Amino acid sequence: MKGLLLFAALAGVLTPFCLLRAQEPAETRSVWDGVYTDEQAKRGEEVYRKECAACHGEMLTGGESAPPLTGGAFQANWNGLTLGDLFERIRKTMPLSKPGRLTRQQNADVLAFMLSINKFPAGKTELYRQAEMLKEIRFETKKPAPKNRLVFNSRAPGNQGSSLDRTPFFRAWS
Amino acid sequence: MFWRNVKNGRLQFVCLFVAFGFLPVMALAQYHPKDTEWPSYAADTAGTRYRPLDQINASNFNDLEIAWRIKTDNFGDRPEYKLEGTPLMVNGALYATAGSRRAVIALDPESGELLWIHGEHEGKRAGAAPRQLSGRGLAYWSDGKEERIFYVTPGFRLICLDAKTGQGVPSFGEDGIVDLKRDDDQTISAWNEKGEWVPNLDTGEIGIQSAPVVAKDTVIIGAAFREGMTPKSMRNNKGYVRGFDVRTGKRLWIFHTIPKKGEPGYDTWLDGSAEYTGNTGVWTQISVDESLGLVYLPVESPTSDFYGGHRPGNNLFGETLVCVDLKTGEPKWHFQLVHHPLWDMDISSAPILADITVDGKPVKAVAQPSKQGFLYVFDRITGKPIWPIPEKPVEVGNVPGEWYSKTQPIPSKPPAYSRNGVSIDDLIDFTPALRERAKEIASKYHLGPVYTPPTVSKLEGPLGTLTMGTASGGTNWPGGSYDPETHTVYVYACNSCIEPIGLVEAPKEVSDIRYIAGVAGQQVQIMHGPGENAGADSPKPPKKRPASQYVRLDIDGLPLVKPPYGTITAIDLDKGEIKWQIAHGETPDVVRNSELLKGMNIPRTGQETYNIGTLVTKTLVIAGEGHVTTTADHPRGAMLRAYDKATGKEVGAVYMPAPQSGSPMTYMVHGKQYIVVAVSGGPYSGEYLAYTLPSAGE
Repeated sequence: MKGLLLFAALAGVLTPFCLLRAQEPAETRSVWDGVYTDEQAKRGEEVYRKECAACHGEMLTGGESAPPLTGGAFQANWNGLTLGDLFERIRKTMPLSKPGRLTRQQNADVLAFMLSINKFPAGKTELYRQAEMLKEIRFETKKPAPKNRLVFNSRAPGNQGSSLDRTPFFRAWS
Repeated sequence: MFWRNVKNGRLQFVCLFVAFGFLPVMALAQYHPKDTEWPSYAADTAGTRYRPLDQINASNFNDLEIAWRIKTDNFGDRPEYKLEGTPLMVNGALYATAGSRRAVIALDPESGELLWIHGEHEGKRAGAAPRQLSGRGLAYWSDGKEERIFYVTPGFRLICLDAKTGQGVPSFGEDGIVDLKRDDDQTISAWNEKGEWVPNLDTGEIGIQSAPVVAKDTVIIGAAFREGMTPKSMRNNKGYVRGFDVRTGKRLWIFHTIPKKGEPGYDTWLDGSAEYTGNTGVWTQISVDESLGLVYLPVESPTSDFYGGHRPGNNLFGETLVCVDLKTGEPKWHFQLVHHPLWDMDISSAPILADITVDGKPVKAVAQPSKQGFLYVFDRITGKPIWPIPEKPVEVGNVPGEWYSKTQPIPSKPPAYSRNGVSIDDLIDFTPALRERAKEIASKYHLGPVYTPPTVSKLEGPLGTLTMGTASGGTNWPGGSYDPETHTVYVYACNSCIEPIGLVEAPKEVSDIRYIAGVAGQQVQIMHGPGENAGADSPKPPKKRPASQYVRLDIDGLPLVKPPYGTITAIDLDKGEIKWQIAHGETPDVVRNSELLKGMNIPRTGQETYNIGTLVTKTLVIAGEGHVTTTADHPRGAMLRAYDKATGKEVGAVYMPAPQSGSPMTYMVHGKQYIVVAVSGGPYSGEYLAYTLPSAGE
């Protein structure tokens, strides 16, 4: 019984830290962290050409009836949101004639292709096809400062509103 | 009260949340809308977007607050992110199209409370429609007793509703509906699986997204199609324009935008090409002078936007402003803005009817804004240009099989109000290094002034012609505004919407057109309708394909051309001169935050977008931004801006959570002025916002 209580107490103390540690890498990920692979972007390009290019244009520059999927206006629209938001937007409303026709995998592949055209770097792991997980990857137009330059004072000048300023305390535990 | 009924396979649902006891009792005489109302898409049938209201003015614009707002997510089976409507406000109620179903809603104009909603479930026909989503608006008619609302569904059916209840009017057409795919002097057809062109009312391509226009007792409807850059065939349905009786729905007249054999203009289609060529519709707003009984039709491009080798000749009435009789549809005069269209220069917005004074003489004029940045001004009775529009020689291209017009009409006045060609001098010049990088990109293309023809795309260059003022340049569907007091046109233009036009040979399985839009080195991609040609039997892509040849037309996100990227211009119509021109819109984030421009002081650049509509009041020109920005002054969002209409000086701005996506309108109820604007785009689904001033004590 005593052992159980100790276990429970330890669990009670440690669990929050475990959870925080588990969340920590996800919270700091952005589109600059190589969140898709070249191979996935190539698959996405196939799907894009067949399903999306008709309206959004061969070069993702948009058409009369569809907005561009690259460039300043597109990036300003999504800056600060997550890939989960963008993924859900695609999944729920595209293609226009039959939203939801593409599989989650196809949608993720198209998203990977869009990231490649927007010059976000490819990496070694594929983009998730689960919106909940994609919500942990932020769409950041500007490349964040390197992690080793992390500023611990979240109120330090220049750090206001930074995507990093919510996590430094927990980073100290990792 | 709430009821729902199913009738003739059509589900009509009408919600009456309140009785209409608050509506004033209609006078029995003809109802004349007041200038505190907004009874037509563009305020009136003259396309002015003008109301002489002044409660909201330079001194208080910044005080505006949201009176009410309505999301359109539930007016369809999925949210819409492209809400382009401009509501009407007449006789105590506000009406709008909304949502992915293109529902019609009636709202209390003071509170935004939903009074009724009407939606049509059209199944496959709507799913296959070339122009889907909520559309741009609707039309109102009253004889002083009955009040009616007209709109066209995505599936191309004209619906007549009782404005008080949202119920269909049984005496109009068949139970309140006229099927616009019928009785059109052609059999609406589509390609079947065997590759045959056969009648098909479900998938036959034709529709419309603009608002109907009602003038006297006639409702006029044009036609729209899919985008025409890479059609699968030189053959398509034709975009005729029709007038219908507002009471019965009976067709009163039709105007053949591609003349039939024996009609004037047929001989401008050589080799019998008028027989099979399609499109050539009127997809944008139509204007009407009720007192003259004349209708002004801005006609779009014929089939195949960028290749006309299968339609030799000047191609009347493609890209032509046509004046027809309101009662009969008989043509009165026409002026072709672009001969043998090759640049997708659809006449894209409402002709503006203006009573002006030229050289001391009163003139009833019509002024037509355009993608190519020219404002064409005519005597609207005779069609004679107010200032000469001489034919000038233009470059003749060398695309095999193409037919070229050696000249094009170029207005001598007013001067072009936006860029309509690309030269080295137009390229970005913040620094010499940026200019050099821009020159390198531009060197892959053929450059030239307005009407420089498309080229065949070649890997070794040119990849195409780099154009501006074509598909998405200059003024698009929102059109301009007109101040009848000062005889001034206010018009937004995209001054940086570059369009590379390259042509590639179309494989036979893709299109029977010899050349379609494309880029050398890339797989030929038919720009078919969304979702079309995606089934199991559609052509398989080649196993091996060349490497992608994406050439980005920006420099690390910076636009290839120099600012201003988007402008509002005031044009004095008495003199044919530009009074002022300003950059409209906050400098985009990508420019403001660019590392390449660090330390430089860049004046406001305006924004690269083509769908901004303006509103003119007694003292102000009002327009929202088309891009989202995040600045020190506001979180991610866009601003609704007001300018002194005399000078162009900005006098106020209020925050919107998303870009303006439909043109603003204004009205006054119980002593308070409101401005309503549609916003949407990117992550933000459609919403109508109503602004007003704080009440006393607030």
